[in-house]
Amino acid sequence: MTHRYIKIGATASVLVLAFVGLLWTTLAEGTEYYKHVDEVMSSPRDWQGKRLQLHGFVVTNSILRKRDSLDYKFKVQNKGTVVDATYNGVVPDTFKDTPGTESEVVLKGQLTPDGFKVDRDGVMAKCPSKYQPKSAATGL
Amino acid sequence: MPSLGSFLLLSAFVTCSYAAVVSVVGARRRSRPLIESGIGAFYLICALMIAATAVLINAFLTGDYSIKYVAHYSDSVQPLFYKITSYWGGLDGSIMFWVFLLSIFGSLAVYVNRERHRELIPYVIATISTVQMFFLYLMVAHKNPFTTFLTAAPADGEGLNPLLQNFYMAIHPPSLYTGFVGMTIPFAFGVAALITGHLDDSWLRAVRRWTMFSWLFLSFGLTLGMIWAYEELGWGGYWAWDPVENAGLLPWFTATAFLHSVMVQERRSMLRVWNVTLVIMTFFLTIFGTFMTRSGVVQSVHAFGDDPILAKLFTGFMVAILAFSFGLVIYRLPLLKARNELDSWMSREAAFMVNNWVLLFAALFVLFATMFPTLSEAITGHRLTVAAPFFNKWMVPIGFVLLFLTGVGPLLAWRKSTLSNLRDSFLFPVGLALVTAAGLAALGVRVWSSGLCFAMSAMVVGTIGQEFWRGGNIRRKNTGTDIFTAIIGLVGRNKRRYGGYIVHLGIVSIFLGFAGNGFKRDEQVLLKPGEQATIGRYSIRNDGLKVSDDGQKQMTMAYLSIFENGKQIDTMYPAKWAFRKHEQEPTTEVAIRRTFAEDLYIVLAFQPSDLATQTATLTIVLNPLVNWIWLGFGIMALGTGIALLPERAYSFALASLPAEAATTTVALLFAVLVSGGTVLSAQAGMGPGPAGQNIQSSYYARNDFERKMQHEIVCTCGACGHATIAECRKDPCATSHEMRAQLAALIDQGKTHDEIIQAFITKYGGEEMLGAPIDKGFSRLAWLFPYLMGATGAVAVGFAAVRWTRKPEGPATAAPLDPALEERIDDELRDLD
Repeated sequence: MTHRYIKIGATASVLVLAFVGLLWTTLAEGTEYYKHVDEVMSSPRDWQGKRLQLHGFVVTNSILRKRDSLDYKFKVQNKGTVVDATYNGVVPDTFKDTPGTESEVVLKGQLTPDGFKVDRDGVMAKCPSKYQPKSAATGL
Repeated sequence: MPSLGSFLLLSAFVTCSYAAVVSVVGARRRSRPLIESGIGAFYLICALMIAATAVLINAFLTGDYSIKYVAHYSDSVQPLFYKITSYWGGLDGSIMFWVFLLSIFGSLAVYVNRERHRELIPYVIATISTVQMFFLYLMVAHKNPFTTFLTAAPADGEGLNPLLQNFYMAIHPPSLYTGFVGMTIPFAFGVAALITGHLDDSWLRAVRRWTMFSWLFLSFGLTLGMIWAYEELGWGGYWAWDPVENAGLLPWFTATAFLHSVMVQERRSMLRVWNVTLVIMTFFLTIFGTFMTRSGVVQSVHAFGDDPILAKLFTGFMVAILAFSFGLVIYRLPLLKARNELDSWMSREAAFMVNNWVLLFAALFVLFATMFPTLSEAITGHRLTVAAPFFNKWMVPIGFVLLFLTGVGPLLAWRKSTLSNLRDSFLFPVGLALVTAAGLAALGVRVWSSGLCFAMSAMVVGTIGQEFWRGGNIRRKNTGTDIFTAIIGLVGRNKRRYGGYIVHLGIVSIFLGFAGNGFKRDEQVLLKPGEQATIGRYSIRNDGLKVSDDGQKQMTMAYLSIFENGKQIDTMYPAKWAFRKHEQEPTTEVAIRRTFAEDLYIVLAFQPSDLATQTATLTIVLNPLVNWIWLGFGIMALGTGIALLPERAYSFALASLPAEAATTTVALLFAVLVSGGTVLSAQAGMGPGPAGQNIQSSYYARNDFERKMQHEIVCTCGACGHATIAECRKDPCATSHEMRAQLAALIDQGKTHDEIIQAFITKYGGEEMLGAPIDKGFSRLAWLFPYLMGATGAVAVGFAAVRWTRKPEGPATAAPLDPALEERIDDELRDLD
């Protein structure tokens, strides 16, 4: 009987170790930090080069679009801290900067010395829906 | 009315507690009257919930906006259909809908099993009633859908979220809930078996069908969710590992595992603890999934928002479920001892066990990854998120292992496979896989992961084909009929097994669709009028934007011409709709050109400034093989249907059916399915008809203006479902032919756009022939058409078969085959098993 338990124990521990090891390595490349603008900009150096999901609000009248292209430049703020962002691609419908409807956004991308560079398809604007208070309904 | 609703819910709650208590007491005292009273009370709950549902739906239909829930989720201009579906549009109503379904299923299950499993029934009732009590308590105390405004009620409602005003979204929740709620029934029977100690296999027989039924609806719900995401959200994909999607997937994994392991217990009396555990886990995961999406614990696209009270209540309930049910399992461990041990790893039960571990692992992995952001925040203080790539990295290999087992499992014998029968049964499937792999390598397809997926799919198809062929052949020899009749008879003799194989074929089709995702291409472009973009074989030209309004919403539409190799093959109209009451959240109306090989998927991104310049900003996606996923679900549903078919209907029909009739049945079924398929492909490849030699003068547009006009006018023949006259070319549609001729004549007279439109309005009276390009709702329904046809056909054929063969006198079930022959077939079939 003890022999059998040793065998089961050994198999189980090998499996668990392999699993944890795999999980660890894949997690390291698969994860992104979810941070607010002010948290990141209080020590920008620390965050440069890391994969980020940046949470903030579009600054009023800050969205600039290059004529006849999909190049965007805009500013995002949280609690008064502002960061510049650049993006190329299609933006969601709820991505707005007119007074009163500034969208709450989550941006996927990386922080560089020149500002925040948003990944392709990395702009997620939260729904301003009054039916889903506080919910994180991201408009896809 | 609202107070009536609240009262009904309250009385349902009271009745539940009565049913639970009286059933347990009755069972312990062995008092028949008390148990009967419990059953009666249980049926009463169902009646009360139906009444409460009627009250709520009535409030939606009559627009009783004094009820907060009604005012929040509907308005007066909403179409009737969506007024009804608003019932489950919000949190409060969806909880009520849950209890409503559970009360119906519970009553059905009790009614069906009340004689056969008499000893289990009181505890089944107690368990289900307790679950109902929890949800009713949530409503009565915290989330009452009948809450009214204390002050003045609004004159009109706020309207259902536009994203939910979609056909698939309307039927997706009921289907998913049916699956979720259905899983409560096996749990209740499991608990009852544990309490009473009747732990032989009889409780399994009672719940097998229920689990299969719930599993089917769960799969259907998941598929509908995918179709909805694909068509409505407009990001080009169908599955994003969003927490809400994962919540539905978790119980699906464990239920799938259960459906497999239950066979091991029936056959070999092993895995008894495991099966009970899976039933409990499945139920727990349905509750956990609801908790995850309803309490704001994880963030998601369609989570309902933070609700700490709800979170606490749910946590309490879940802890209670786990403690109670696993406590019972531990208490009953001595009775759950396996009677057999695993003989060999080269056996079918071993394959089932590995399959179970992998499925369970998949469930745990998805659970872990879904909860990871919440967990990481709790532990490290940093909120770390994981995205789809992380899920895929794990789930793709897991999927491969499962696909591999699907191919291998049926080839292994129970107990132990010998080397010779391994060689015998593996030769063909493995050969097929290798040939496919070689072919793909020659074509230059990547090995990981799509190439591997195709090769393994070939192996599974080989396995299933071989099973059908060999079984059919043996039966053919024994019964002396043709191979078709033999295969049908084979399926009838072991519906669950061969139905299961058909389900596996569906799974293969779904996997092919997933593999196609590896070849997906997408582009984002900005097109000025007349400009073209090219993706794959297609070129897309912007012909301008147009705005229209139908009272409920404003629609901005891009007119696009699609070219393939320089020839125009289609026009597409991606659009943005801005609903009056939700102008801040326009909805995306994706334009999809479906073919079996790939979907051309175009999304319009719109900003008001684009209108002046007529510029179309487009996301263009090429999605290869995506339709195989939906097709695969259809096959899966067919297989599950066969497995679920009542024994009587099938064996009855087959036993006394003459040999030719069976063949006719197959031919008939085939014809129905194929005709369905033609409809599908006709719809998929909608474009100009075949370029025949005898082109009539009015058949094709001679210039751009005429083509454009043809797309604006709808054919009045009534048979084509309001296709434009450019599209209605179905022979012999004389009407569209004539209308095209009239149009050509008017153009020849040099009339302008508006004059022509006016002329048509005058002639046909009314504006109904004006094309709002493509009625999306309808074309979606049309997509369902082949499946509906298939299902209706199958049912009709089944009914007819039963009717024809019904014997005039009583339940005489004498088998027409002589007993000796019967026995021999049984023997041979057993060898096959």
